[in-house]
Amino acid sequence: MQFIENVRLAFTSLLANKMRALLTMLGIIIGISAVIMIMTIGTSIQKTLSNTFNSLGSFNVFDVGIWLTDYENYSFVEDEMISREMLDELIETHPGKFEIQLTEQFGSATTQNPNGDVLTLSVTGGMSQDLATDHIRGRGVDYQDNARGKNVVYVSDLFVKQYFGTDTDPMGQTVELTFENGVSADFVIIGYSKLPKIYDRMYEPGTREVDKQTPCYVPIDTMYRLMHTEYTPKDYVSIIYNTDYDEAELKAELEEFFNEKYAQYPQYYVTVRDEQSELGMINTVINIVTIAISIIAAISLIVGGVGVMNIMLVSITERTKEIGIRKALGAQNSAIRMQFVIEAIMICLIGGIIGILLGITGGLLIGWVAKTLVTEFYSEYAELIAITIEPSIPAILIAVFFSILTGVFFGYYPANKAAKMDPIDALRYD
Amino acid sequence: MSKTVISMRGIIKRYYIGQPNELQILNGIDLDVTQGEFLAIVGQSGSGKSTLMNMIGALDRPTEGTYYLNGVDISTLDDAELSRIRNKEIGFVFQTFNLIPRTSALKNVELPMMYAGMSRKARTARAEELLEIVEMADRADHQPNELSGGQKQRVAIARAMANRPSILLADEPTGALDSKTGRLIMDLFHKLHKEEGTTIVLITHSPELAQECDRIVTISDGSIIGDTGVREDAIH
Repeated sequence: MQFIENVRLAFTSLLANKMRALLTMLGIIIGISAVIMIMTIGTSIQKTLSNTFNSLGSFNVFDVGIWLTDYENYSFVEDEMISREMLDELIETHPGKFEIQLTEQFGSATTQNPNGDVLTLSVTGGMSQDLATDHIRGRGVDYQDNARGKNVVYVSDLFVKQYFGTDTDPMGQTVELTFENGVSADFVIIGYSKLPKIYDRMYEPGTREVDKQTPCYVPIDTMYRLMHTEYTPKDYVSIIYNTDYDEAELKAELEEFFNEKYAQYPQYYVTVRDEQSELGMINTVINIVTIAISIIAAISLIVGGVGVMNIMLVSITERTKEIGIRKALGAQNSAIRMQFVIEAIMICLIGGIIGILLGITGGLLIGWVAKTLVTEFYSEYAELIAITIEPSIPAILIAVFFSILTGVFFGYYPANKAAKMDPIDALRYD
Repeated sequence: MSKTVISMRGIIKRYYIGQPNELQILNGIDLDVTQGEFLAIVGQSGSGKSTLMNMIGALDRPTEGTYYLNGVDISTLDDAELSRIRNKEIGFVFQTFNLIPRTSALKNVELPMMYAGMSRKARTARAEELLEIVEMADRADHQPNELSGGQKQRVAIARAMANRPSILLADEPTGALDSKTGRLIMDLFHKLHKEEGTTIVLITHSPELAQECDRIVTISDGSIIGDTGVREDAIH
């Protein structure tokens, strides 16, 4: 009951000194808006990163690398690097757990559609295809396709349109691909995806639909066979893991497997990195930086709070007589204290809300500028970088809470001083 | 038959201004006031009448002596209990009106009832009724700076009456008013005294005003030097 009365009273007294109230709020406004702006930027960077990574593919990948303990005295020897046998052994000894994300470019291939148009494809050979989010139908190339040396191909929707038009179902259809070395072979279509956006940017403006080069994905071992080439040992492979299993256990198994392989070569050591946890690490770093800067920004909140305390002291001195009258009319000390604490809270809360609005606006503005800059100067990547600007909701709640806390903390001392005034002295005050 | 409202025995008030110098303002006041009296306390400046008023109004505690207000010993109460006594039992009317600035007449009258914890509806109704009594109903929404001195004092009297106090304690209520307006305010006190049976304690240095009251207590140098008792032949 008296609470609402006190809020009205606080408003009346703030409105009576609008300029002073605004200047007092300024410190709070600056502090809160700085914190909100930084938090908004921090959250936006995190969201952008994780959305961008998500749009590029799945996370369930371990990167296995071998490194030399001493690059001056040793160098990589092909026979000692990660061999095809090792990878096959890994798959065989850990059935269902891992797939090798091994890819190689095999130049381009051509084919003729029923209309006689020559279509060009860029060929990627791979072990196990990691289907991206723009997958449409069918399946990707897998380890079994490689093991059996199958002639299967995964294409794009643009190729389907180029070859079959819109009427024919492409699944299971055969196309004859002619590679750069003149070798031709029939391939069965096992699936297709949307054309990755990055391809769209490669075409010259005005290129006819049938002249647009499209990507395709075939088993790498089939390509080795057709091209008469073979696997070259690597110092680095990406291994997709089955998410049905515990990630940490699989990582440990991988480390154990490769450490055992390299136990005989003391000049090498093995690392297994996990993209998911790396993104987590990046996020942690961003978090720490955000929080650190926010804390620095929050110092201005303390300065603002001292300003509030100062103005409250001025206010109660000015209103000593009023306090005396209220006491004579029977106001309890607690009622007087409440009145001034609520007034301080109102200053801080209004300042906090203005600060939140300014902070969100500022954060969105900076985000918009960043987006514009990326689109303007890095247009080729613009569609890959999923810039997401989002105000940080926890930051807003924390800001509101801290505004109130600042009000209580810095308002209590002046309010208590008012509450403890001697009514006779206060009444006599002019 | 009539109830005793104020009963003071041997009230002494001392101020300590540094250890050796003590200043004794009241030197043992004995005072009884019964319900329905219209009492004037007169005295020169510095006679101690303001201190006595603070004592009666429960703004201050005596150094020695006992003060029973409606049977409650005020001299032993703590701050919170004194606030409650001021709220319920005392209605202050000040020389300088002391309305809360930037607050309408109605809200000013509501204040003591707000501190008494009365519901908004009830206190607004009561405040309107009080403003009616002091003939200020048409100015209920005006702020103090939009009112004349006499009007302010009427609002202040309405406010003092809000919680139906045992005593209306008026400190030079006409001191800041011209004689004509002062007359109207005094008439209002007489009206409240007669019609509502309010016990009124009027503190003044003016013998003329005191003559209008039922009883005159004269104070000088912290002691009561004259008490007319209740006179049936009061001028009014």
